[in-house]
Parts: sequence; structure tokens; C-alpha cells
Amino acid sequence: MSDTIHILIDRADGALQRLIGLVERRGFHIDAMDMASEGSALRIALTVRGRDAGRSITNLGQQIDRLVGARRVSNDAAFRFEAA
Amino acid sequence: MSAAATAIKPSTETEPQSGARLVVSTLEKLGVEVLFGYPGGAIMPIYDAIAGSKLRHYLCRHEQGAAFAADSYARVSGKVGVCMATSGPGATNLVTGIANAMLDSIPMVCITGNVAQGVMGMDAFQEVDILGVTLPIVKHSYLVRSAADIPAVIEEAFHIARSGRPGPVLIDLPKDVQFEMTDAPRGIHLSNEIDVAEASIIAEAEAAIRAAKKPILYIGGGAKISGAVEAVRDFARMTGIPQVSTLNALGTIPTGQDNFLGMLGMHGTRAANEAVQDSDLLIVVGARFDDRATGKLTEFAPHAGVVHFDIDPSEIGKLRKVAVGVTGDLKPNLEALNARLSRGAAIDVSGWADQWRIRSAETAFDYNAPGEGVFAPQLLNELSQKAGPNFIAACDVGQHQMWVAQYCEFSRPQAHITSGGLGSMGFGLPAGIGAKLAEPDACVVTITGDGGVMMNIQELATVNRFKIPLKIILLDNSRLGMVRQWQEFFFERNFSEVDLSDNPDFVKVAEAFGIPAFRIDRRDQVSAGIDRLLAAEGPILAHVIIDPADNVWPLVPPGKNNGEMLEGSR
Repeated sequence: MSDTIHILIDRADGALQRLIGLVERRGFHIDAMDMASEGSALRIALTVRGRDAGRSITNLGQQIDRLVGARRVSNDAAFRFEAA
Repeated sequence: MSAAATAIKPSTETEPQSGARLVVSTLEKLGVEVLFGYPGGAIMPIYDAIAGSKLRHYLCRHEQGAAFAADSYARVSGKVGVCMATSGPGATNLVTGIANAMLDSIPMVCITGNVAQGVMGMDAFQEVDILGVTLPIVKHSYLVRSAADIPAVIEEAFHIARSGRPGPVLIDLPKDVQFEMTDAPRGIHLSNEIDVAEASIIAEAEAAIRAAKKPILYIGGGAKISGAVEAVRDFARMTGIPQVSTLNALGTIPTGQDNFLGMLGMHGTRAANEAVQDSDLLIVVGARFDDRATGKLTEFAPHAGVVHFDIDPSEIGKLRKVAVGVTGDLKPNLEALNARLSRGAAIDVSGWADQWRIRSAETAFDYNAPGEGVFAPQLLNELSQKAGPNFIAACDVGQHQMWVAQYCEFSRPQAHITSGGLGSMGFGLPAGIGAKLAEPDACVVTITGDGGVMMNIQELATVNRFKIPLKIILLDNSRLGMVRQWQEFFFERNFSEVDLSDNPDFVKVAEAFGIPAFRIDRRDQVSAGIDRLLAAEGPILAHVIIDPADNVWPLVPPGKNNGEMLEGSR
């Protein structure tokens, strides 16, 4: 089962690498990715799937939220980011 | 101990400054006194600016040594550790030290030089994408593209390194940015918000604790990091709830205190592991359910609910479901809990606590072993007793690390410096350097093995150059002991590649580095040897020969639960 997680993250050196690396390192496959610039930030929607049953999307969201450059993280499809 | 610092050159803020000069002046402004590093081509402008500054730079003999020394300096001093290296191999040599700080949540700022931006991505000499290399092992990282950004980046890096859950931050500075002149450096204002849990959550934690019949306080390294040691001790005193500790939290509760059952986990005490397995509530403070502590996770404390205090929300529920998760700074949250508990009826778990105090005495470690050879556990216990409350053990990794955790007595968490999460051999010697510089009056003893010491033995030159009065105990069993032990029990005694019997003569090696050294190879030499070590005014090394057959007991085998401990005679 896949989930989509929405992230607003500072556009900075290594930001995308940092995010993708974290998601994969924490045991998730990335099935789809949608990205757009939004001022000084990147708006990214990641569709992810855990490699095994022990992977929690909530926990992944918390780990992404821990990234210093992450401004907003949500798994709510109706979520709208504030203006960056 | 160190060369006297020369007075800082006067500078005027209106004049343009180079990026390198801004690095130095910002570090000075942030109160940095000590840093560790190793120069090279891409960081030469910063080294040029360091000369004549207030910063005391300790030249290590390998960048990994510099990173480990900075890590240990941070652990003991409570300040942010700082290390520096050049681009390419200099930066990659920091990697293990950065990972070590990341896994144990140690505040550290690592400054690396890099090639000029114009040749980045061109495979230039000594070019490595160190920002990319270190992404998984840093709390955050920066590639600075303008000299004007340097003050703000460094201040933010220090703030990030020490705030919330601490960790290492990398600042990569291309050489052109170090040379670049600027007269408009940008500052930054950072707030120090303290994250405190809602009162209702603290009330839930209190209710769970009051309802428990068989609670255990499970203490992790976060207690020290957050400055919550007194709050933890107050909680333990007030409630009488038995306590267990992770490796990184040893000393939070002083060794030998009533109701302290010792370390839990793979090499923990029988009483600690049995009590946890039997408990109905784990009160977890600043710990993360590391597999070395839990054993088989699905069978860890099977009847226990969990109240988990942690500053990192992603740790709560990561490996174990919780009844109550208290997110935020441990110190104010635990103080709030203590205040609530003190206003209500006294917690009474005396029957449960008595049961484990008795069991703890029944299953206490045995300091006796047959024969005339040195028995490391007895030596280490005697060492810590004689060294007294100022004792700091800076451990390497392996069997001796576990013996230190099991047999040494610690009065405070700063007394036990160990590579817990990463388990990195080579940590001991540079860690001793960092600890001694952080607390010059402490009795700092590096305790290392013949495997670990060889991984950073070049740091004996650092000890000698700065005349750092570090005491070193080298426990030599001519083996990679922990690996040998596992091969003995889990690999049918197939002792593959663990023989180190062609080690050099470590006494001669130490003397060649200018450090006095002596050998202990019989049990009747131990007491006098410890006295000689502790009485030395300068650096000294004791080379201690131990039996290669000695093992670390108890041992929870891989894949087993913590109730299934193997025991051996020695």
C-alpha cells in the first residue's frame, strides 16, 4: 500500500538528495515524485511504499520533519502549503 | 598543557575581511576556545587566519583523531566540539567521527575546506562532494557560496548542533569563499525556544506511573545531553522505582546507589535484564530502544506499557508502541512530572524494589578468577575506586569497553565516555585527549585494547606534543577479543582473522612517541601499577597483558531476548 507525503523544503545544496536519501534509508520505495519550485522552497509530493510491514508513514513524516530545511510535512491530500 | 595563545590581532569591523578571517572571528565570538584539526591545501586560508587568534588549535595526526577528540570534548564540556579538515581525503577522514557524533547525538561542528566553486564538479585535485558523502550522518550541512554568509551559517550551525536533539553539522567552505573579501557580513538572530510538553500529557504520564505495580525507570544518554541528570535522580529518589541504564547513560545514577540495577542489554546485568522483562511499565527517559539494549525486540519487556520521554518526536513509537509519549526537552518535562508526583500521594513500590535489590546482590559481578594472570574486570574496578570522583574513562571499543561499563564505578555521566551507537574502534585515544582538554583537573584514563589503539595510535604524538597528562591503560589479549568471543560461541570456534599476536612492543612504541610506559603482566603487579599510573604527572601508558580466553559475561546471544543470558566462569 502506498501513501503520498507532501513536503515544503528549503531550496539549498543537497536538499533533494537529503530528502530522497532519508526516505530510502528509512525503508521506503519511492513510486512517484512531483516537484515544483515555490519561491525559496521546493514543493514535493512523494508517493512511497514501505519495504516491509514494519515501516510507518507517520514515523517517516516525523523523520522528514526533523530535517532542518523542512518547512512543512503532511500526508493530507487536501493540505495546502502556505506561501513560501 | 598547551602552547600559550598569542593575542588576537586588532581588526576593525569597517574594513573588508576575508571569508577565512570571518570564520575565525565568528568562532571567537561564539566562545570557541579549543578546536581540533589537520590542515591541507583547500583550508589553508583558514589556517592562515587561525595563527594569532584566540583559538587554541590542537593539531591531531589524523583527521579521524581530530573528529573523535572534538566529539569527546563536547561530551565532557557540554559545549559544541569543533574540528576542521581540508577537502578530499581530509574531509573523508572525518566521516567516521561525524557518524559517531550523529549516532550518540553529540553537538559538533565540522568545518571542511573545498576546492574553489569554479572547479567543483570537474574532478579537481582533492575534490570530494563531502556534503553528499555525509548527508546520512549529519543533523544538517551547508555549502557556503558567499563570504558574507559565513557568520550567519556558523552561528546557525552551532545553534542546530546543540539545540533539540544535538548532532553534528558540517560546513563546507570552497577555497574561493575563504579568500573572498566582504564588508557586509550578515548576522542572524536565533531564538532558544524550549519545547515543553502539555500539562495534560505530563498528567497522563503521572497516572500511568501511579497505576503501575512493577515499574522500571529506563535511562538513556538523553538524560545527560538535556541536563536532566538531577531531575532523573530526583525522580528515582522520590519514587523508589528501580532503575536501569543504557551504555551511554552510565553514571546518571551513581554506581552502587540503592535501586540502581545497572546496565541493561546484551552485556547488561542479570538483575537489570530480568527486572525489565518482568516489569509492567517502562518509564523511558532519553533512550531509543537500541537493539543492543533490547535484545529481540518483539520479546522485550513483553508485559510492559511504555511512557516515553524524548525530545525527538520521531523516536516515540519508532520501535515500540507507547502508552504515553512525552515529546520535548527532557529536563523541564521531568521536572514537571516530579512536581506533580511530589504534590500527590507517595509512590510505594517498595516490595518490587526490594525484590530486585536482593536479586541484584545475588547476581552481582564476580571479581575473582582463577590463576595469576591479570583479570581485567578486577583491575578496572580497582582503577575506578582509586581514581575517585574525578575519574573519567575514555573507552575504545571491544571487550574492554564492556568491562569498563560493567565494573567501573561512575559518579556522573561525564565520567564514562564511550562510542555507544557507532561502536567505533580507535575512539579511545583521541577521546581521552578531548576529555582531558575539556576537564584538565579530571583524572582522565583512556582504556583501550590492542586492536583499537592501533587504529589511532598516531595520536600518541598529539599527546606528547601538547604534553597532555593523559593516562592510558592498554588491555592486550593479542586478539580482536569481541570478535574472537563471538566466533567461539556462534561460529563454531572458527577464529578467522582475529589473531593480533604480532603486535608491536607497545611499551617501546609509547616510548618512541616520548611517553613513559610500563608493563603489567601478573595479578600481583596490578595495585602498584594502578598507583604508578595515577601518580604520574604527565602522560603515561600501562601495557596490561590479559588472557586471550577471557570473555565478557553475561551475554545475550543474537536473536534471543534479554532473559536468555549466557554466563561463563571468566
